[in-house]
Amino acid sequence: MAEIKLKLKKTHKFPLEADVISTDVFAGKSNDEIKALELYLGNEVVQLGEFFDVTGKSGDANELKIIIDGDVSNVKRIGEKMTAGEIEINSDIGMHVGNQMKGGKIIVHGDADDWAGAMLKGGELIIEGNAGHYTGSAYRGFWKGMEDGIIRVKGTIGNESMLWARNSKKANKWPILYCGAAGSFLGIHNHGGTIIVEGDVDRCAGADQAWGTIVIKGSVSRKLPSYKKVGEVKEVELPNGEKIKGKFIEYSGDHSVKKETNGRLYIAA
Amino acid sequence: MVERKIKTVYDVICPFCGTLCDDLEVDVDNTTEKVVEVRNACQIGTAKYFSSNPSEHRYEKPMIRKDGELQETTWDEAIDKAADILVKSKRPLLYGFSSTECEAQGKGVELAETLGGILDNTASVCHGPTLLAEQDVGVPSSTLGEYKNRADTVVFWGCNPVHAHPRHLGRYSEYVRGYFKKDGRNDRFVIVVDPRNTHTAQIADLFVQVNPNEDYELMNAIRATLRGVEIEEEEVSGVPVEKIKQLVDILKKARYGVIFFGMGLTQTLAHHRNIDTAICLIRELNDHTKFLITPMRGHYNVTGANQVFSWNTGYAYSIDFSRGYPRYNPGEFSSVDLLMRDEIDSSLIVASDPASNFPADSVKTLFKYPLIAIEPHETPTSVFADIVLPPQMAGIECVGTAYRMDSVPLRLRKVKDAPGDCLSDLEILERLLEKVKEKIGE
Repeated sequence: MAEIKLKLKKTHKFPLEADVISTDVFAGKSNDEIKALELYLGNEVVQLGEFFDVTGKSGDANELKIIIDGDVSNVKRIGEKMTAGEIEINSDIGMHVGNQMKGGKIIVHGDADDWAGAMLKGGELIIEGNAGHYTGSAYRGFWKGMEDGIIRVKGTIGNESMLWARNSKKANKWPILYCGAAGSFLGIHNHGGTIIVEGDVDRCAGADQAWGTIVIKGSVSRKLPSYKKVGEVKEVELPNGEKIKGKFIEYSGDHSVKKETNGRLYIAA
Repeated sequence: MVERKIKTVYDVICPFCGTLCDDLEVDVDNTTEKVVEVRNACQIGTAKYFSSNPSEHRYEKPMIRKDGELQETTWDEAIDKAADILVKSKRPLLYGFSSTECEAQGKGVELAETLGGILDNTASVCHGPTLLAEQDVGVPSSTLGEYKNRADTVVFWGCNPVHAHPRHLGRYSEYVRGYFKKDGRNDRFVIVVDPRNTHTAQIADLFVQVNPNEDYELMNAIRATLRGVEIEEEEVSGVPVEKIKQLVDILKKARYGVIFFGMGLTQTLAHHRNIDTAICLIRELNDHTKFLITPMRGHYNVTGANQVFSWNTGYAYSIDFSRGYPRYNPGEFSSVDLLMRDEIDSSLIVASDPASNFPADSVKTLFKYPLIAIEPHETPTSVFADIVLPPQMAGIECVGTAYRMDSVPLRLRKVKDAPGDCLSDLEILERLLEKVKEKIGE
């Protein structure tokens, strides 16, 4: 597997917009070509080489791995629209990491800022720390958020995560989010997304859910009044076939959207 | 013939709140160019007219900070220094615009684009969440005249027009006699939903007291009840389920209803999701009857700022031009968030006073960097400014266009001349833009 190593060598006051740091862009480029790629700092255009040391050798996008070192917590849009390969980030990461990604894999050994994996269309995003608000969400005004792929967050995610998620039975697309705990309005306007939370969730989980599955292994600070108790279950089967064992109370909803609904919310009994 | 000392200007549009009352009469002393009397306006509108008279609080000449003190200077020097600050910045913030007229706002957009800066208006800290919700789920709305003539059920949710929009009730929503509502107040059923028993609530037919920050759950329960679902709890957000059923019954029986909402929804927890669910509630109510929704906009031309920014850039607020084209993302490019993350290096504040309204930490960041204020009065923002450019007050000392809260454009009138060397906001921004273009060689 070809490998490119980037190391941040300069601090910067304003966020650095680095949507060019992606396996698709790097594929087949020499290190000098990579260094000449354009980043945005405020209203200035700067070259990647000014801010990053570039080592290693590039190759085909499918076979390429980008490893990023140094504090990139204020670098935005890494892995935007990426389709293949792998990115490994050994630090906290700024906003929009892996947004609109179609394939491949991104691993963050740290925390991610807001809009991590926003509107994900495929691939896998793994965050070992916490993630910010709007993880796996639709951007402002979009009615289709995360359409496919997997986001795994070990820690807590912020508010309004997985907003407007949209599955497609016909195309066999099942957007899935795993996380340790979550903020308020988790899975709001959900249209078929699957969310599994290991711990507790703040208010209004599954608000306006049309259909989809939310499994919460901890507690919810305030369950919405429009969810109705269906019964108790000992096992939850997810649309992808995965089975989660444990005692859960099954609720149907959100009934403020439809009187009869396939939307399900499971909260640990 | 005796020459009259006082001239009276009729049918004046009040440039204070989003109601834009259009029936004011203003008396101006011909010799001193001072407002001496305002008729028909509310107390707040009247006070704004009197505040335009020369006083120790009114700037009459451009000011520049020298040796730590604001000192009078010439327009040429002030504009040159201001352009210098903006051109040298990598991430200038242009904020405000809601209390000036549309032509000046348009010039502000051009300036932000030329500078590659960030453009934001006060919707960012008031009804911005309303705009976010409208983008998510749409909005069924109407002009205020329709409500006046037809509405028989009026809901005020999280707003207190008796104090914030004093003449709204008398002109459009509660006491006014409409074409089909000839008996005024007696023809309307008024509901107030609020955590506090406000003065608007005290004159309502039904007051629903909701727990603070729990409007979302209440609205959610109303929507479910409307769908025919039994709520399993006894009370939601402090409101008994029986009362929710009564409320749903009243809303369904309305022949033409409207919800007016204010910052009690947009700036409490859940923000835009409160509006999101309120709009969905309206959508569902339209299965049974006619129902509409309108935000109670604060600044008289904040709706105009949203309109002007939208038709120029495609977005209503929180716009970033740093990559040469407009991008929009409240939370990332909104003023308070930028300031909290210390992501600006200069600011131009137009017709606004963020120091009084923003969180303290963000104001500290604002004052860390060069600040240019286009501001007629001494405010907590302008006293810390490096350059103060004194404008004429739109709607009092110069003409212009403003949008009412229901997006109806009205032409503002001029009633008197401005004191001192004041220029219109439009002219100041034009001169600034010209200077900026000259400096960057465009």
